[in-house]
Amino acid sequence: MKTHILAFTMSISVCFAARAELKFDKTELELHPTPADKQAVGHFTYQNTGKQPVHFKSVKASCGCTTAQSQKDEVPPGEKGEITATFNIGDRTGTQVKTVTVETDDAAKPSTVLTLRTIIPQQLEITPTFVFWKQGEKPDPKAITVKVGKEFTVNHIKVTSSSPDYQTKVEETGKGEFKIDVQPKDTNSISASTLTIQPEDSQKVFYATARITNAPTEPSAPVPPKGPVAPTTPAGQTH
Amino acid sequence: MKFSLARQALILAALALVPGMGEAVYFRHKISWQSPIPPSELATVAQARAWGENVIWADARPDEDFARDHVPGALSLNEDRWNELLPQFLAAWSPGKKIVVYCSSLSCNASREVARRLRKEAQIPDVFVLEGGWEAWLKSK
Repeated sequence: MKTHILAFTMSISVCFAARAELKFDKTELELHPTPADKQAVGHFTYQNTGKQPVHFKSVKASCGCTTAQSQKDEVPPGEKGEITATFNIGDRTGTQVKTVTVETDDAAKPSTVLTLRTIIPQQLEITPTFVFWKQGEKPDPKAITVKVGKEFTVNHIKVTSSSPDYQTKVEETGKGEFKIDVQPKDTNSISASTLTIQPEDSQKVFYATARITNAPTEPSAPVPPKGPVAPTTPAGQTH
Repeated sequence: MKFSLARQALILAALALVPGMGEAVYFRHKISWQSPIPPSELATVAQARAWGENVIWADARPDEDFARDHVPGALSLNEDRWNELLPQFLAAWSPGKKIVVYCSSLSCNASREVARRLRKEAQIPDVFVLEGGWEAWLKSK
């Protein structure tokens, strides 16, 4: 009896393994685009190792920033191919993980998730990218810190203000570190400036914003939500 | 008989553990964990509506989706054109205002990323992710 149950379970497992026909070489790829690249493209290669043709039902990316396509609709036995995933970098930063879900008529494995991990190199890390003064506030300078990414060398940065009403001063505070002091001429009226930050000998441009804002807004009387009563701020809010 | 079944179950569980352990070791650096958004950084449609005029809606979806339809008064702020859209978005912000970011649905990640960048890079407080995203907004209409 014992032997029968074990044998039955193991034979089921073996059957499912044997029917898994579309075999991907890798289901996860790591891409390292250059700072100038607009896209990162991953090629997920596969082979139909079974004896029946496999048909793609759908190939869907996890977000609008990624497109994915198969070269063909049907993969005959023994044939190789690839799913091409294109990630549009846009103005994204850091490590981006996107997935592509491939659905086929392979009964043993109808769905495969492919993962595209893109490491976007960050030449400059700017904190904060936004400085502001309330209208009427003393126009003291505010600091923006610029740190150069580990794999880059930047000895100088150039900062330009789109508005003559804001002055900027750059100071090197350490190896690969800079401080930008931003100061408005006055805070009497609402105004804004886009600060363009460019490393020397680089085409890449970074941005920060300086702005004189309205005085803080008074919280308006809350409108009672429909349905169950909800708190006016989320539970545990720390801000 | 009961003892025998229990023993078989244990043997099967042990057998299943072997490939499981192997996979865990082999892929130990490749597992992409996505921690849930803390409740303090989430807002429901009802909560965001209750904030009335004191809220700015940020639409983190691609331009095409925003052009098709969006929350009334929402501003587009996606990472495809972050550098271009952020200054326009900041022009609508003033201290004390809350920001509610949304993307397509519960499973999308764009709103989370946009909220993170607003908090970390622009250092704006009171930034929330809309629970359920655009789909939740549509359902609540």
